[in-house]
Amino acid sequence: MGIVIAVISGKGGVGKTTATANIGLGIAFNDKKCVVVDFDIGQRNLDMVLGLENRVVYDIVQVMEGEANIKQALIKSKVNENLHFLAASQTKDKSVLESSKVEKLVAELKESFDFVILDAPAGIESGYEHTIEFADAAIIIVNPEVSSIRDADRAIGILDSKSAKVKAGEDVAKYLIINRIVADMVESGEMLKSDDILEILNIKLLGKVPEDKGVIDASNQGKPVILDKKSIAGQAYKRITGRLCGEKVDMKDIEISDKGLFKKLTGIFR
Amino acid sequence: MFSFLFGKKKSASVAKDRLTIAIMSDRDRTNGYPFMDEMKAEIMEVVQKYIGVKEVQIRKEVDGNMEALAIDVELDKGA
Repeated sequence: MGIVIAVISGKGGVGKTTATANIGLGIAFNDKKCVVVDFDIGQRNLDMVLGLENRVVYDIVQVMEGEANIKQALIKSKVNENLHFLAASQTKDKSVLESSKVEKLVAELKESFDFVILDAPAGIESGYEHTIEFADAAIIIVNPEVSSIRDADRAIGILDSKSAKVKAGEDVAKYLIINRIVADMVESGEMLKSDDILEILNIKLLGKVPEDKGVIDASNQGKPVILDKKSIAGQAYKRITGRLCGEKVDMKDIEISDKGLFKKLTGIFR
Repeated sequence: MFSFLFGKKKSASVAKDRLTIAIMSDRDRTNGYPFMDEMKAEIMEVVQKYIGVKEVQIRKEVDGNMEALAIDVELDKGA
């Protein structure tokens, strides 16, 4: 039985889809079976970032409507066979999602994968709510920038009230990735520090990803930046996915113990 | 935070202050239940049977693992 993790942000354009692609691939490199699912119905993008756009035959909506089965719709990555991908529908809109169908799909994916990673749409509308409803954990992506952080807080608030786990009296695990950090700006006091962001959002840190021009170059080619061993963002995603897979990876230059995080994540991944 | 060194507040610390206030007020407004307004009206109706009411306020208060509803009923002195 796998763990279901929703990747959320509130605000768009903070690197959620890029993060999903890299996390998925990183987990696959850790020898875990992983499926990444694009829940951004009507704005399919994860396929491009993964370089799989030409291989999409069936999408998530067709699976939920029974027009195709999961096996037909899943696309296996050429880079690592542990990674599978389920595309969003490009023609439909978010209103086609229904709780019961999402629940069934997620349950089915959980059976055959160690990690089920759901790429949520931006915003906090129904498409977002459906993505988080049956997730065991959420990874929140923010940029060190006021609008992203404020929107993330709203998304977390909705997660805390709409998650099926929370409704059942359990906790939904929440971890933060701070993306696009510019070290010089943090040092000169022109960019929020990780600690300040964690304090404002009252959440645990999963990792921080530095600003890296290679990210755009990588998505141009449909090769997630984690494949580029020299890329500093790629290395950050490698550390992040190591942590997700239960490895003890020190939080680089951040004065926080990740012991608790390590325990909790291995705890939910049974 | 650096203001004593440079004489001017750095923008990151301005951002932190502004975000803290904005998020606190967001949470106040949204940290309720969808049925808050309905409940408010019903409470008002019940108390109104016995004594004049000016306003009813309901707040969700969270303290660690404890959650409580704080209900303030302001009486209408003129009634």
